[in-house]
Order: sequence, then C-alpha cells, then structure tokens
Amino acid sequence: MMETMAVHGPGIITEEEPFTPGHRACSGCGEALSVRLAAKAIGNNAIIVNATGCMEVVASPFPHTSWRIPWIHTLFENTAAVASGAEAGLRALVKKGKRPEKNVKVVALAGDGGTSDIGLQALSGALERGHDLVYICLDNEAYMNTGIQRSSATPFGASTTTSPAGRESLGQVTWKKNLPAIAVAHDIPYVATACPSYHRDLMKKVAKALEVKGPAYIHVLSVCPVGWRCATEDTIKVGRLAVRTGVFPLYEVENGQYKLSLTLTKLEPVDSYLKLQGRFRHLTEDTIKIIQERVNREYAKLVEMASKSSPSG
Amino acid sequence: MPKKILMAGNIAIAEGAILAGCQAYFGYPITPQNELLEHMAKRMPEEGRVFVQTESELAAISMLYGAAAAGCRAMTSTSSPGFSLQQEGISYMAGAELPAVLVNVMRGGPGLGNIGGAQGDYFQATKGGGHGDYRLINLAPASAQEMMDLTMLAFELADKYRNPVVLLTDGFLGQAMEPVIIRQPVTELPDKPWAITGAAGRPKNVINSFEMEPANFQPRVSLLLQKFERIKQNEVRYQGIHLDDASLVIVAYGSASRSALTALKMARQKGLRVGLLRPITLFPFPYQILADLAQKVSDFLVAELSSGQFIEDVKLAVGLDKRVELASQYGGVPLAPETILETIERMSKVTIGR
Repeated sequence: MMETMAVHGPGIITEEEPFTPGHRACSGCGEALSVRLAAKAIGNNAIIVNATGCMEVVASPFPHTSWRIPWIHTLFENTAAVASGAEAGLRALVKKGKRPEKNVKVVALAGDGGTSDIGLQALSGALERGHDLVYICLDNEAYMNTGIQRSSATPFGASTTTSPAGRESLGQVTWKKNLPAIAVAHDIPYVATACPSYHRDLMKKVAKALEVKGPAYIHVLSVCPVGWRCATEDTIKVGRLAVRTGVFPLYEVENGQYKLSLTLTKLEPVDSYLKLQGRFRHLTEDTIKIIQERVNREYAKLVEMASKSSPSG
Repeated sequence: MPKKILMAGNIAIAEGAILAGCQAYFGYPITPQNELLEHMAKRMPEEGRVFVQTESELAAISMLYGAAAAGCRAMTSTSSPGFSLQQEGISYMAGAELPAVLVNVMRGGPGLGNIGGAQGDYFQATKGGGHGDYRLINLAPASAQEMMDLTMLAFELADKYRNPVVLLTDGFLGQAMEPVIIRQPVTELPDKPWAITGAAGRPKNVINSFEMEPANFQPRVSLLLQKFERIKQNEVRYQGIHLDDASLVIVAYGSASRSALTALKMARQKGLRVGLLRPITLFPFPYQILADLAQKVSDFLVAELSSGQFIEDVKLAVGLDKRVELASQYGGVPLAPETILETIERMSKVTIGR
C-alpha cells in the first residue's frame, strides 16, 4: 500500500529552524509542518509576507513569534500585493544604489481562503505583473482559523460549519477550485503542488521556486485534524493518501510543461482517504462513487498533460 | 406565554432577521460574528431563503447592493476589519438609497487587532464611514433581546427611509447568552415600486449614485440630507434610568451600558445620585435629550469601549461648560463596573465651581 521510504541520514536536511517550535498550532497540524519545511528551504535571506490566518495567529501572538527571519503581517485579501510591494521596494532601493544586491527572497504565505477566495485578485495581479516572488498557498481546505467555514478550496462533500451536511445538503456542493491551474494560466515560470507527507519533495520544490526568476506558485495540501476530523497522529498518513488516491496529485509545471512528481501505477480508492475523516463521514456509496469518477477523470487529464509535455521543459 | 429561549446575541440577530422577513443573507467568516454566519447557513435553507457565503466582505456588500436593488429584504454581517472593507459599497448604497441591514459585531482595532469586543468603530459607523455626504441609521442593542428586536426594527427603518441601517454591536454582546422572547414574524412586507425587477409593462427603474454634472448632483444630495433631517426628527430612541434625581449622568451604549448599569446600582447603594442615559439610536444621536438634561445636571460620565469617540457627541450635546469625563477600555478589553464606579466616586468628591 504505502511506498517504502529510505532513512535519511543527518545532514541531508538542515537543522536550521527559521520557523521555530513553540508556536501555538494544534497537535498534528499539517500546516505548521508545511511552514517548517518550507522555512528550512527558504533560509535566512528572506522576507516572509504572511496573510491573516492560522499560521499568523499561532506563530505571532504579540509579543512572541516563531519567525527567526524578517516577517510582515498583511490583511486577508492583499498578501500577494504586499509581497509585490516588498519586492518592488527592495528592487528600487538596489537599483538606486541605496542597498546592496543581496538577492533577498520574498515569500508570501496565505491559506486557501486567503488565496482562492478573498486574495485571488491580488494574487492574479502579482503573477501577471511578474514580480520575483514565491507565493505558497497553505491549503487546509476551509477557514480553520475562524471555525471551519467552507472556502472555494473545500472539497465536494465535506461538511463544514457553513456547508453543514444534513437532510437538505451533503455538505460542500461545489468542487474544489483548481488554484494551480489558475496560476498556470498566468503563464508564470514555476507552479507546483506539494504536501508535507512528502517532505523532501516539498523542500525541493520550494528551493526550486526560489531559484526561478519571476513569480512562482506552490500549492501545499496541509492536513488539519481539527477541521477534517481525523486523528492527530494520522496527519502524515492522510496527506499521503490524498496524494496516492489522486485526490491531490503532486506535480510541477515549469514554463508550462507538466511533470508528475510521483509515478502512481494505480490509484488507491478514494474511500481509503475519505473514511479517515469525519468531515466525509456522512457520504453515501453513491456520492463516493461520484468523487471517485471525478478523481479518475482529473488524474487522467493530468497524466495526459504530463505525457504531452517535453521532459526538458 | 411567548416562547423564551436562551441564545447568544449573534444567534438572536440571525433569528431576528428571519422573523423580519430577510430573504437573502450574504456573509464571510470573521470572528466574533461567525455564529451568525453559521446559524444562517443552517436556518436560511430551512426557511427556503437564500444563504450565500461570499468570497470576501467586498462581495458580500456588493451582493447586498444587488439584492436590495431587486427589492429584497437582505442583510450582511461582519466584524470591524470586514466592515472597513465594505465602506465603498455602503457609500454607494446610501447614494443609491438602497435599504439593507448591515451588522457590525465590533472587535478590538485598529488593524487586525484582536477578537475581543470593542466599540472602536463608532466614528466609522455613525458619521458615514465611506466617502461622501451620507449617514447610516445606527441601532445599538444592549442585550440579546435587543439584538433580536433592533434587527427587526433595522429592516423596518431601512425600508421606511430607503437607507442602509447598521446594527452596531460588539463581540461581548455577540457571544453572551441570554434569554430571548421570540417575537411574532413580520408577515406583510412593504411594496418597493422603485426596485429593478424587469420593465415589462411599466417604465424602467434606475438605481445609481452617479451624476456627472455637479450642479445636478447637489440637489440629489440635498434630498438625502433632507431625509437625514427627517430621521433625526422622528427616530431618536434612548433609555433613561434614574434620570429624575440624578446629579451625575452616565452616558453609555451597547455593552458599555451594561457595565454602566451595574456601576449605577453600586453607586446608588452608596447613596450617590447617579443616572444613566443609554442611546439606542447612535444616528440619530439623542442630542436634544442630553441638552435638556444638561439644563439641570452638570456632571456627565461617558463609558465607552473606545478611546474617546462616543464622548465627542456627548460633549457636543451638553456644551463645553459641563464636566464630561471618560471611563473607557479599548483594544478588546472589557470595561469593569468598578472602573466606572471609581470615576463616579472621584467626580462626586470633587465639585467644580460654575
């Protein structure tokens, strides 16, 4: 079932922790893990632009912070715009000789609500203008910080406080918005999906995004045991199943060329992923079948796009 | 016996809206008003009405603009930062004379602030908030019961004056649970012949707030101003407690008035003649009531959950020759009755000559 993993020796992953432990995330938080791993790849020569959301609240309760590197909080809707401003401001100072060129990386972090709903306009603007920045969407598939309200990244069938499952409804009635595809449509140099269950893959992609000249977008599925109603010790397992069922495939799009990050000869049934989560508990066999068919279709499309893409990019 | 149910203030607002015939609700998650949004997500479909979780507060206010223009009783709810984001749309609604209900469950600010209750949006809500010459009717509930009752009144006044109405409350009142008597539902809604509903068989209606020629726009704004004057004449609401023999009057609204009422009772036990004036409408503000009180009372104490906003209207009403002191908390911190009592005692010991 699960793929076998090699044991990683010391020195392969840096022991530096730009995002320190001691923050207030819930136990089993997949998003805090995503940020920790991304921060290791980002290093110290960076500015983090952080939207309102779980990671901002748990990691920066005044006067404490988990960030060892420069960090700025933004509104909910404007993360990509603030990151654009920081990048443009630094560039202007370097150009005028007011600051030395130190190749400072600007990295925007926002949740799925802050990216796919309220922040989409600002994101589109930043990607279109071509700022040299990395935008990481930490997708836990609902507004978890305010109490598990649905977002446009909430998957079909999930019960949330504003898409409650019951007699009248099966929960979320719309399909998850395809944010990576929207990013790709902006014709930017680098788009990737990642999940902390595949930690080395995540770090590699962040490192690659930082090297790219121009905008890069990484969409990170981050398991939320509280909102998804799964066991806190299952965070890694649930994330891995999201990938291996094809619900959340891992891939890269470099200069428009699709490349699957993992070769899955056969997808696990979606049921194995759904059944671990209370938010899907109410789903009937028929609904699960609809989800399975959709996943098969979407995954096949992705495989086709990858097969059409040239390996060199 | 009417039904009495224990409910949080946020839920009372939602149920009040349903009783008032609200057909469409548009909202976006923000603490401390989420219970309202979540309750509407469950209840509106049950009632066969429309619930939409929008992609932002900007979308919520814009959908409200559309629904109101279509002649629908509609509402949005948010908390301080979301209310700021909605200001442009609110100005357009006021300019286009669209009736709708806006709920602001205020929290600590400025900026992201925090999720504690506060009254720091007083200026923004009562003086207009967005651009241009306009006012919003502001209703300030002080209990879960009033959350329901004033929400129902808000819909009535919005339609009566074709103006947006703000229910200005805060996180403390939104979260606190109190018994609420469930009111009778409104069954007859007013006709809206001005609404845009398609022009088959009648002349077209136009909803806008635009006039290129300034000389033509001014008369339109004048009509708005005349409307605000009518509102000032007809809609002032307040509650007075122990005003007859008071030598010191506390002026407070919303949750601050709850602390003030406790402080009043404590002061009365100590033999201090303290009264309370609680504006229920913040626009129109009860200027005349306060001015009349100032004929016989010289000492006023303003209690507010902001750092001296509401006090400006009190000073304007009572005049500069009166003593007006402030007992306040801000940034999401609750105001303890003891803090108000201390100020009362200090003011009572020291009398200033006149």
